Amino acid sequence: MSTDLHSLMAPYALDALDQDERSRFEAHLDQCADCRAEMAGFMATAVRLGDTVRHAPPPALRERLLAEIGDIPQERPIVTALAERRGLRRTLPRLAMAAAFLVGAVGVGGYLVEHQNAEEANDRSVAMSTVLGADDVTTASKSFDAGGSVKLYSAPSADAAVIIAKRLPSPGKGKVYQVWMVDTEAKPTSQGTFVSDGEMIMKGVAEADHIAVTVEPEGGSDQPTAAPIAIIAV
Amino acid sequence: MSASAAQLKLAAAPEHDAEPSLNDLLVKVGRGDETAFAAIYDHLGSSVFGLARRVIRDPARAEEVAQEVFIQVWQSAARFDPAKGNAKSWLLTLAHRRAVDAVRHDQAATNRENKYDWSSGPDFDEVEETVTITLEHEQVKRCLDGLTELQREAVNLAYYQGYTYAEVATALNANTATIKTRMRDGIVRLRDCMGVVA
Ligand SMILES: [Zn+2]
Repeated sequence: MSTDLHSLMAPYALDALDQDERSRFEAHLDQCADCRAEMAGFMATAVRLGDTVRHAPPPALRERLLAEIGDIPQERPIVTALAERRGLRRTLPRLAMAAAFLVGAVGVGGYLVEHQNAEEANDRSVAMSTVLGADDVTTASKSFDAGGSVKLYSAPSADAAVIIAKRLPSPGKGKVYQVWMVDTEAKPTSQGTFVSDGEMIMKGVAEADHIAVTVEPEGGSDQPTAAPIAIIAV
Repeated sequence: MSASAAQLKLAAAPEHDAEPSLNDLLVKVGRGDETAFAAIYDHLGSSVFGLARRVIRDPARAEEVAQEVFIQVWQSAARFDPAKGNAKSWLLTLAHRRAVDAVRHDQAATNRENKYDWSSGPDFDEVEETVTITLEHEQVKRCLDGLTELQREAVNLAYYQGYTYAEVATALNANTATIKTRMRDGIVRLRDCMGVVA
């Protein structure tokens, strides 16, 4: 089919393309500055159409959502994950394949949603989605008496895990929490630091025995300098 | 997904003074702020649900889709970049895409049951009337009224009913090239009439 792809701009802005043409047009949009320049106004026009049909949702929807989201992991790590930069790119093609299916399955939609901030967030969100969506994902968590929790999702099939820390009490001035991957043979390897909330992806968990969290000076330590506040078996 | 594609900018609707604070809220949602999420919901819940309901028609199904939209907002908010668009556009673009995908998915299932019978499709006159009555914004209504009949029908069927342009062509008994052109002319005219600056 040799449709002139430029002519799909208006149907695209109105969401009037089927899946195949939508994908083909988005690939074209990546390449075509003319289409991108005009698309912004088209999309904004469509949004105006969309915002004219407001209708108050049932109150139960709000309650349901607010009750649910606390348990739903978010896509992007807030912490600086040191290990991520080192280990992730190597394994990305495999992860990306799996995530492409996942993204399709949950129907993530919207060119802007998908492409905004793409380079920055994509590697992480792809890997994170892969772990959280893996068939063999398992979870383990630890709650603290002082409040907050640390939850670990591991997916052996992706050889990766995601750790999510929520509302931990302040580690103290000039201190951070540091996450370590520990195996029985070698030294603990730092996975990154966070202060109160954080999400990070860890690669190579197949060799890991457990994940530990310690309190360390700002910037993190090369090796743990304190006893762990949490140990979670992988 | 190239870097250049990430540069796509959405025009901010000029009359929306609340936009900067919605942007801030959505950024906070991306950092796991549940209070900000509740505030986003309170601001945009009726826009998202209303749009889903308009496209899907079945209120219960629309509620499901609205729920999926907000869960996705929670999961993906960190991808939102306030430098490249505004929060309301981000949510409504997402909501519309999901609503259209849902209505097509449901329609495909129905069609499989019904052995695919196009003649049982919705009646167009009834559709247009509903759209017109529920339009809240006078300006948008006036701008839609300023389109030619074929432009307006093409935009309505696609945007508010989730038809593909090929389905619009079938429904309106026109060829696809004509429909694509009418959609383009229609959007350009709406854009200019609404004063969208991009
Ligand atoms: Zn183009």
